[in-house]
Amino acid sequence: MSSPAEQQQERIRVGLIEYLSRHTLDEDYARIARDRPGRRSSWLATGAMLVTLAVFGVLVFTAASQTTRNASTSARDRATLIDQVNARRATVQQRNEQVRALRRENDRLDTDLLAGQKGSRVFERAQRLSVLTGAGKVKGQGVRVVVDDAPHAASDRNKVLDSDLQKLVNGLWEAGAEAISINGQRLTNLSAIRQAGLAINVNYRPLTAPYTVLAIGNMNTLPSRFAETTHGATWFDLQQQVGLRFDMKTDRALVLPAADQLSLRYATLSKEEHR
Amino acid sequence: MIAAIGLVVGILLGLVLTPDVPQWLEPYLPIAVVAALDAVFGALRAFLDGIFNDKVFVISFVSNVVIAALIVFLGDKLGVGAQLSTGVVVVLGIRIFSNVAAIRRHIFHA
Repeated sequence: MSSPAEQQQERIRVGLIEYLSRHTLDEDYARIARDRPGRRSSWLATGAMLVTLAVFGVLVFTAASQTTRNASTSARDRATLIDQVNARRATVQQRNEQVRALRRENDRLDTDLLAGQKGSRVFERAQRLSVLTGAGKVKGQGVRVVVDDAPHAASDRNKVLDSDLQKLVNGLWEAGAEAISINGQRLTNLSAIRQAGLAINVNYRPLTAPYTVLAIGNMNTLPSRFAETTHGATWFDLQQQVGLRFDMKTDRALVLPAADQLSLRYATLSKEEHR
Repeated sequence: MIAAIGLVVGILLGLVLTPDVPQWLEPYLPIAVVAALDAVFGALRAFLDGIFNDKVFVISFVSNVVIAALIVFLGDKLGVGAQLSTGVVVVLGIRIFSNVAAIRRHIFHA
């Protein structure tokens, strides 16, 4: 065909892809046909060709069967994994239910025990403490505050942030609130109000706007005393400047739920101080 | 005719023996098959062109398979195995396509 120099020239001229599709046949076929025309091939070469073709058949068949086998193996693996996941999930659910049942049982036993010693003031003391710590459900008069993002809020500037909720809650404590909950999450002295992504987490539970804050306290003085605190003033500003929704109403009968988790990990009772 | 017999014998052999591919050879098998396909289609085209030669076919087949596997092996060692196999498949694919097109022209004269 063409000399190596010409081929080099052509490769440069037409580009790689074009060159590739022009020279698809091994050039040795053409060269041998040109150099030694009409020459019969030997038996040895024919045998080699047959062997090569047989090898080709084995290759194709093996590759195909291998791929199918691998596919079925991975499908089986997948099914096994899914089964395992489902089994574990069921176990977790079962354990959770067990935990809930045990907790209920615990509470019942606690009340039974304390009620049995009613005369000894222990029961009364525990009841009072549970109001203060947030471990017990409480009811009473107070205020219902509903806060929400500004209408058509586009940026964080006119949305209720965790710091805004913190200020509101701190203001209410300062104004004399005795128990506070946000969207059904009772606040204890261990509660955290924290932004996590788009949601605000209270007691590690994500809440969404609007936020309903219930505060038990003297319903006649709570609103005015809240307005006098610095946090109350801040909220007034937020309402005026940024457009956050803030709506405070008094309520004669509020019911606040008990806090979910009240587990102390480090603090234990000191024996000497115990009265 | 003889070629078809060789092919059938090979497939039957594979069916009977069902050779288990060793783990280290497994990544090179598909690329070797593509390279072999290229050699076989090239041979078929040469046959239809009337310039087929057994020796050239055997040599091109073996060298194609070995070089393709070697390139992928080298790529694996260098950490670009997947990209190099893609490159090899693209080049061989182009060759197979235009060889098959030439074969089609021979058979259907179109």
